[in-house]
Amino acid sequence: MYIDKEYLENYKNLLFSDFEEVREERDNVLKKFVPIYFDKKNNESIKNVDNNKLANLNYNYKKPADVDSAIKNSNNSYTIKLFNGKCDNYKDENLEIKNIDSNDSKFFFNNKLANTSDFLIDLNSLFLNCGVKIIVNKNKNIDIKILNIVLEDGLTIFQKNLIICEEGSKVNLVEEYNNQNSSIHNIYNVFEVKKKSVLNQFVIQNNSKNHELYLSSYASCMKSSEYDQKVYNFSNGYVRNYHYSELVEENSTVSHIGFFFINSDNISDNKTYVRHLAANCQSNQIYKGVLTDKSKANYFSNTYVDKIAQKTEGYQLSKGILLSKDSTYFSKPELRIFADDVKCSHGSTIGPVDENAIFYLRSRGISKNTAIKMIISSFINDDLENISNEQIKSIVTKNLNEFLDNIV
Amino acid sequence: MFLDIKNLSVSVEGNQILHNFNLQINIGEVHAIMGPNGSGKSTLANVLAGKEDYEIHSGQIIFKNQNLFDLNIEERAKQGLFLAFQYPVEIPGVNITPFLHSSINSKLKSNNKDEIDNIEFAKLLRLKAKDLGIDKDMLKRSVNTGFSGGEKKRYEILQMSVLDPELAILDETDSGLDIDALKIVTEGVNKLKNQNNSFLIITHYQKLLDYISPNFVHVMMNGSIIKSGDKSVAADIEKNGFKIFQ
Ligand SMILES: Nc1ncnc2c1ncn2[C@@H]1O[C@H](COP(=O)(O)OP(=O)(O)OP(=O)(O)O)[C@@H](O)[C@H]1O
Ligand SMILES: [Mg+2]
Repeated sequence: MYIDKEYLENYKNLLFSDFEEVREERDNVLKKFVPIYFDKKNNESIKNVDNNKLANLNYNYKKPADVDSAIKNSNNSYTIKLFNGKCDNYKDENLEIKNIDSNDSKFFFNNKLANTSDFLIDLNSLFLNCGVKIIVNKNKNIDIKILNIVLEDGLTIFQKNLIICEEGSKVNLVEEYNNQNSSIHNIYNVFEVKKKSVLNQFVIQNNSKNHELYLSSYASCMKSSEYDQKVYNFSNGYVRNYHYSELVEENSTVSHIGFFFINSDNISDNKTYVRHLAANCQSNQIYKGVLTDKSKANYFSNTYVDKIAQKTEGYQLSKGILLSKDSTYFSKPELRIFADDVKCSHGSTIGPVDENAIFYLRSRGISKNTAIKMIISSFINDDLENISNEQIKSIVTKNLNEFLDNIV
Repeated sequence: MFLDIKNLSVSVEGNQILHNFNLQINIGEVHAIMGPNGSGKSTLANVLAGKEDYEIHSGQIIFKNQNLFDLNIEERAKQGLFLAFQYPVEIPGVNITPFLHSSINSKLKSNNKDEIDNIEFAKLLRLKAKDLGIDKDMLKRSVNTGFSGGEKKRYEILQMSVLDPELAILDETDSGLDIDALKIVTEGVNKLKNQNNSFLIITHYQKLLDYISPNFVHVMMNGSIIKSGDKSVAADIEKNGFKIFQ
């Protein structure tokens, strides 16, 4: 167990190292890591995480030599490049982007997610070294694209972003992860989706083999707000998507939707967790994947309904196509319901492509490859058709076709 | 010889289903096969279409002067072989229209003919569907998904008439059709039938053969043909059952 050693040696370089209260909190978090070897079985947050790698973490963070400022593409569209989790400050009538520095220690504590027992989020607190805060002003309607760029090999980036959608704002957020180096990127996004605001988020992940991405998020959703998250993972390397949300006030809705397409011995590690804390809210948690070779995926979905959260509607679904006999997709849905007037359900269909369906299509003159592709595409066609952002649609289609071209 | 099946023996999962099966079909002929449940009719149809779960012990099949076993499933289809399935499989999410469009184009392409575009194909499909009493709303649906038994059979025939095969094998296409549908479907078959194609019709009922007149009727039992004759064989079976052949 070297985490404590790495932590102590590098403490000075971490964000907020001058604050006593942060130190106390971090020391508390550190204690959780002592029994890590013994706890693995009981903690799904590290189910598919390589313990050795975690323990033998080689802390290495470098501030980028240059950072970019946000680019305003048009009246209401922005591109933000984050190099190793940093960018220049920026402010206009629509939004404010602030690089996190060591002065604002409140930022460290801005994590309302109580007791997740998620080791990777804890690790993020422990080693936090970069991040940005983005505030979208009241009633503004804007598009933001964030490119998360890791600059070199061997880095360990512990990044936390705070994104606040003020009342009545409407935000289309696209996040891209397209990193080709052997670094570890642990990123935790905290969203505040305020009253009557709408946040549509697309996350596209297409990292290379040796890059490890641990993406966690937490969203708090206030009255009559809408939060839609769609994650597309086409990566070759390890990707962990753990996304939490709380429906804090009435009439809010959230959906956590994910797609993954994996081959070789790659791992897609997924969890979504929605807490219904107010009445009349809706949630969807849907993860669909196509797996081949020796790839491995898991999906934990979780709906918690507080006793005051009447008229809750909650839906969970996991779907998977296994293209090889050595690929596995483990799904575990969970419902914990303490209110009586709720509609919650879950479903799961995971299995190989139907051989009879392939035979049928081929018997009509369609090649085996095309038949398999047709069946796989059918799996996400409905969802693709519903994407209104043409740029996203074409990125997803392109990546999907690349995946399909490589499987047969 | 257009289709020549010689001494074909086939097993599935260790059970021999076809025993020294022989059948010759000339171009322009209609052959009917009748036989009790489990006698191996669908097995024969699947082997002809190229389904891969079967073990071929012996025998050969010549189709259009080629060894059929040298062709894979889709190559056979492109060469003009078509099987209307006894139990068409549901494929949710695969839409009928683009699927059939790629089917016909892959066939045209392999015959060095020009592919047809979306608009032209949609027209063709609607026309053929109308002939077969298939509602055009059905053409927006997924392959066989949620279709009634009769709708599945009609949809098989729709595919057949779009693909215009040289050898069509109909595996109990009449089972599950109501009397009006039977008329419509058999009219469809008769319209397609000409001097340059052949039909192999598997059925349990003489009724079908009243509508589609076969040149030969074969009785199949325990994996081989034990009697061949004209339409009167079907009448015999209808009257006396299969026991007279045992
Ligand atoms: N995949 C399989 N595994 C094991 N047995 C099989 C398989 N496919 C067919 N059989 C067996 O082969 C025999 C012949 O089946 P087949 O479907 O060819 O009969 P059929 O003549 O078409 O009957 P029906 O008139 O009921 O359609 C049956 O006994 C059946 O159980
Ligand atoms: Mg049969």
